[in-house]
Amino acid sequence: MAVIGGGIAGMNAALSLAKQGTKVTLIEQSPSIGGHMAKIGKVFSPVKIAEECGMCLLNPILNEVVWNDNIEVMTNTQVIEAERRAGTYNLILEQSPRYVNPDKCIACGKCAEVCEVEVPNDWNDNLSNRKAIYRPFGQSYPEAYTIDMENCDKCANCVKVCPMHAIKLKGKSEKLPLSVGSLILATGHQLFDPNKRPEYGYERYDDVITQSELGRITGVNGPTKGKLVKKNGKVPKRVVMIQCVGSRDEKPDGHKYCSKVCCMVALKNANIIKHKYPDTDIVICYTDVRTPGMYEKYYKHSQASGVRFIRGRPGEVVRKGENYIVRVEDTLKKEFSEIEADMVVLSTAMEPSEGTKKIADILNVGVTEDNFIKESHPKIKPVTTDLQGTFVCGTAQDPKDITESIMQATAAASKVAEYNYAGVEIEPFIAEIDDEKCELCGNCIKRCKFKSMSINENRVEIDPMSCTGCGKCLTACRQAAITVNGNIDEKIMATINGVLDKKGENERMILVFLDNIGYTAADNIGVNRLSYPESIHIIKVHSVNRVRPRHIRYALENGADGVFIGEFPGDLMYEEVERKIERVKKRILESNQNPERLAFSKVYIPYFSGLAKKLTDFDEKIKELNELEA
Amino acid sequence: MKQIPDKDILLFKSCLVSVEYPGIESSTKFVFDKLGIDYEISPQQTCCTGLGHYSDIFDQFTTTTLGARNFRIAQSIDRPNLVMMCATCYAINKKVANILNNKDEVRERVNDVFKESDLDYLVYEKDSTRSSENIFHVVDILYNKRDEIAKHVKYDLSDFRIATHHGCHYCKVHYDDTIGGFRNPQILDELIEFCGCSTIGFYDHKRTTCGSGFRQRYSNKDLSLKVTEDKLMALKEDKVDILVHLCPNCHVQFDRYQNLISENTGEDFDIIHLNIAQFMAIVFGADFNSVVGTQAHTVPIESKIDNLKEVD
Repeated sequence: MAVIGGGIAGMNAALSLAKQGTKVTLIEQSPSIGGHMAKIGKVFSPVKIAEECGMCLLNPILNEVVWNDNIEVMTNTQVIEAERRAGTYNLILEQSPRYVNPDKCIACGKCAEVCEVEVPNDWNDNLSNRKAIYRPFGQSYPEAYTIDMENCDKCANCVKVCPMHAIKLKGKSEKLPLSVGSLILATGHQLFDPNKRPEYGYERYDDVITQSELGRITGVNGPTKGKLVKKNGKVPKRVVMIQCVGSRDEKPDGHKYCSKVCCMVALKNANIIKHKYPDTDIVICYTDVRTPGMYEKYYKHSQASGVRFIRGRPGEVVRKGENYIVRVEDTLKKEFSEIEADMVVLSTAMEPSEGTKKIADILNVGVTEDNFIKESHPKIKPVTTDLQGTFVCGTAQDPKDITESIMQATAAASKVAEYNYAGVEIEPFIAEIDDEKCELCGNCIKRCKFKSMSINENRVEIDPMSCTGCGKCLTACRQAAITVNGNIDEKIMATINGVLDKKGENERMILVFLDNIGYTAADNIGVNRLSYPESIHIIKVHSVNRVRPRHIRYALENGADGVFIGEFPGDLMYEEVERKIERVKKRILESNQNPERLAFSKVYIPYFSGLAKKLTDFDEKIKELNELEA
Repeated sequence: MKQIPDKDILLFKSCLVSVEYPGIESSTKFVFDKLGIDYEISPQQTCCTGLGHYSDIFDQFTTTTLGARNFRIAQSIDRPNLVMMCATCYAINKKVANILNNKDEVRERVNDVFKESDLDYLVYEKDSTRSSENIFHVVDILYNKRDEIAKHVKYDLSDFRIATHHGCHYCKVHYDDTIGGFRNPQILDELIEFCGCSTIGFYDHKRTTCGSGFRQRYSNKDLSLKVTEDKLMALKEDKVDILVHLCPNCHVQFDRYQNLISENTGEDFDIIHLNIAQFMAIVFGADFNSVVGTQAHTVPIESKIDNLKEVD
């Protein structure tokens, strides 16, 4: 299997599966695995009210990944194409050259000493410079240098000085095929661009920075070796933190969601500053402090340490003389205030990374309205996506912290393990294509909500792992080239005939089509000693979508007094069926029958009494219609 | 960017422009003529109700009915594109178009009023005037012709310190239609740059309202003038000579009240106030009295611009 993204989520997912004996390819687009956590500085857990070294927690995991024989780490690598066939993903990967052979490089650093090109170091949020040949960070893996070819001037000084002859300035990116059974997407997040909030002056003012930059500044492996200083080298006297920059924002270029971790990040960084620089005043301007569960204790701890809190979202940051003025309305006191500060820190929102958006596009996996990878059911099916065999974890799914990312990673790994050890149960009632009739128009592929169809070597292929036999493709096919195994159409027709054959004279007969959920609800009516009218005849179907307009018309034309269709609204096909019923009603009207004789209803297992009542009401209505039309 | 027309335009008259600064209208016409814009003004058109609407004198239904009438007038002279000189007219008419097109019930009630009054020819047809496709501000039209501005530039105003004040009702009501950003609006700054000048860019309170707040100017005068004062103070600190506007209501607030705020605070302000069309007209060489209409200004334009320097 393959894990895409080598941050804290991806590494943990890979490790969990590797330890269970699965071969894992860990694909990372940057030159090193480690992700955002590598640059975060300190981390904290709510139970221990203390901050600890992030790298010290990350590095053992990183080493475990590197040393595990079941994991192959591919850095500088991206997925550029993907197709799925019968439960197998065929990926095409593109690996860009490092220009430094990691097997030979001993990371002595002589190359960087002689390199004359200096560029901003993105690992330090551009707060320091690095050379064009560089190692991303001290613990990066592979433990080798790499060349940033966009900035390299090809002077070849590094080639001459390398004692291991590990450097080659020529290199081409390579395309590599990879076949895997399942995928875990751990492509992570990026931070909201603070320049989209020009009122906060991120671009205009030196000491307006982001929490991520503050993390680098206070990190001992950062640009100032952990010393909190402004651009002019002095320790700030007052730091104002602004929460919800880009999140909980209704305006068109903001995110409506809460970015979830920023309250904790601000508290952590405030505490780190308070411990080292007790004289520095810290004010956090917040919308609401969201510190659920044990995090609340950390919030109280921060208050006790002297961090100050103002409820209000600042309107703007402006320079006044040497300092800045943060204008904010204290919405608790209902007072307008101007806070003087010499450093302002913006808590920018987490948003899906470019990599997350790209992989969603390549795989055609569903995304939320905010472009995070969407879970197939947000409540009951975490980490599964709408693509069979593809799972998601970490901040590719939504904003979350390290602990939650690891939990999700482990859950995703467990889902993959289910495939590996238990196999997959599939229904036999899946679609089949008659290749001779098929014109490859692709209509069926567009209609399939389960993404089980694809065109391969001039034929439509159906993935038996994901086809549910819903039958939607049947209606899309102009050539009638698709059948669903199990002769469901004929079976339904025969059942209708079977029921109607028994109809006695003047007997009222209502056919009720129910899916699994509806059928269980109907069972419950009996078990709970409730009753429904004698006219009700229940027919269980695999999916109510398989009840086609001609079935309904046939039933009404051949003696049924009414047709009732019940479906669980959580079903993927629910809206489709609801629309279909409206169309069928129109057609019933066209053929001079009363569309009121068709009813569609939501069904729920615990609401069996509701179903009983609906059936009784419908029977009552049909009875009236019969009397009226007689 | 949205499609912006350069023809079939009804230049929508504004009450505040006509009454307070008629030079804005004559300057707009002067600049439009230079840039080859096809437009007309209709004497049949009425007020958008904006000032009255925001002062709770006209309700939304009356505003919508009058808007529907004005849209029909534009259509009847084959000028389906309405272009506003005033940010209030801009936001009001866009909202009216959205209501008329999306709320069937309201549209029917409006049409009933027309029918009952024997004004059947005014009946509004759904989607005949669309907010984004048919309703614009003068700055949109100018921005669309930005590449043609340079060739008409006659005078050089680049020695002045210029700042911009973007009307709230252009930037902050219909976000999706605002050109040049709404968080840090840029459209005036860009237009001024096409005139061969540069602005001071971002300044403290650039995004703040003018303070007028429609009736706030009268019913809550102290607060209203305090907002204006804050902005004037920031502009003074940045040594600004010219503040360029796109809305006559903001223009009134600054130009008419600047001296009063001076008296109240003891601070001297010498900033002159020009609409972007007036600014462009000056740069294009228009006459100060007959076109720019400087005689209607409280802070004399000539106190700053007395000696025009031709461009090289």
